[in-house]
Amino acid sequence: MAVIEAEHLSKRFGKKVLAVDDVTFSIRAGAVTGFLGPNGAGKTTTLRMILDLVKPSAGSVRILGQRYRDIPRPATRVGALLDSSGFHPGRSGRNALRVVAAGAGLPDTRVEEALTMVELEGAARRAVKGYSTGMKQRLALACALLGDPEVLLLDEPANGLDPEGIRWLRTFLRARAAEGRTILISSHVLAEVEQTVDDVLIISKGKLLAQGAIGELTRTAQPVVRARSPQAEKLEALLTARGAAVNRLDTALAIRGPASAEVGEVAQANGVVLHELFTEVPSLEDLFLEIAGTRREL
Amino acid sequence: MISLLRAEFLKLRSTRTSLGLGIAVLLVSLVPTVLLIAFIPTHLLNGGELGAGATLVTYIVLVFGILGMTNEYRHGTITYTYLATPRRARVMVAKLIVYGSTGALAMLAALLVAQLVGVIGLPMRGVSYHVPGGGALADYARQIGVAGLVTCFGVALGAFLRAQVVTVAGVLIWALLVEPLIVAFKPGVGTWLPFNVFGQVTSSTLATDAGNVAAHSGLARPEAFLVSVAYIAVVSVAAVVVSMSRDVT
Repeated sequence: MAVIEAEHLSKRFGKKVLAVDDVTFSIRAGAVTGFLGPNGAGKTTTLRMILDLVKPSAGSVRILGQRYRDIPRPATRVGALLDSSGFHPGRSGRNALRVVAAGAGLPDTRVEEALTMVELEGAARRAVKGYSTGMKQRLALACALLGDPEVLLLDEPANGLDPEGIRWLRTFLRARAAEGRTILISSHVLAEVEQTVDDVLIISKGKLLAQGAIGELTRTAQPVVRARSPQAEKLEALLTARGAAVNRLDTALAIRGPASAEVGEVAQANGVVLHELFTEVPSLEDLFLEIAGTRREL
Repeated sequence: MISLLRAEFLKLRSTRTSLGLGIAVLLVSLVPTVLLIAFIPTHLLNGGELGAGATLVTYIVLVFGILGMTNEYRHGTITYTYLATPRRARVMVAKLIVYGSTGALAMLAALLVAQLVGVIGLPMRGVSYHVPGGGALADYARQIGVAGLVTCFGVALGAFLRAQVVTVAGVLIWALLVEPLIVAFKPGVGTWLPFNVFGQVTSSTLATDAGNVAAHSGLARPEAFLVSVAYIAVVSVAAVVVSMSRDVT
């Protein structure tokens, strides 16, 4: 069952900027979906259209089968982290959450639970202006969790987090996913979400380039054979003559086309010494770069 | 709607804006009243000086109303406000109720402080203090009501224009400079201008101090009240209509 369904969704700001261009996708229930793309790809605009904060120029989007604004008490069904700067600087962390909870018709007990979940209870009385970026990000996450929602939309949640914070976030998201929640998480740092997501949507320059289960997409991605040789130039020429795509930097080669066994055989047949030869399993980043057509080897 | 009102009251209580309002109201109700009681010749002291700060309070609550809405955009809190309550008209109604009542309460507090100054200060000048009678009380009640209306007008303008500095500066320039000039040179037009209309609901606040020559010969109080409400309604509806098509980015 699809939790979020977008059909031919477009958003144009003014006459010149087409932020989202005819995007159609669906997000399945209970999955963690990575919404991936470089900065300015249209991820945030798409998320804001899902949440009725930005009006689509064309197309439609439904969440839980209806428009966000039609969901009764939406904070209890959908939680969103959009912008960690969306808090009044003079308000304490606890009061920032209490304001949102009150508006959503939630009891103050949920505020304390959310603060505990994001491990901010010790700083809850401090004004938000004294928070670090990471703390603001956790506060924004607490906001998203206030209503104990079944769907979470997280826009660049790792922004501003240190490595420890990123690890904490990853563990946190895995725990939420294990509870069966649907999570849509946008990021431009692919390594951050690679270990967390089940499905991916890949967007670039407003256009959706790919969607599907991450396992299927990486399987279809072409593997890269890495080789290192003191006769790299000779090996490059031999492989290129056989139709392989080869990039060379000094003694290192990145080869697309032939399998590693074939590369080894070519080297052996032509007396080329190899110091290293292995097949690299495509990462999410490789997949993204391949799909987006912006790969620069080595 | 109850939860929305709770949220709006909590927003007021949890920042220094309301503290600033309280201090400003206290100052503008204390200082002019104390100065008048201290320096006016005793034969001119008749109790009228106890409402001297009311005009300033009206402008303070006007700015307070504008800040109530524009602060949401300035600090980006509007995103969470609309996520919790996607029906934007409901947010507007809640703000009008909460800020309108707070503006009215601010005026009530200012008038009470002024009376307290009278109770203490007038006998010190050898003038006896008289508890306000029916006419004065009715005038005070109108001032309280107008303060509520003006605050609502500020909220509606803030929602419509969004940009805080531009809205505050523009509205104050209009209310203190442009409108009094129009009233002075084109009283027929000026009678219907918003701050003059608010002033006509009670003749002792905005209108008289803005140099309004038409206040007493313009609209009757009930008409002025209805036109005031109409102004607020029109700007509020316009703000909601605009906000519904406005992207929160």
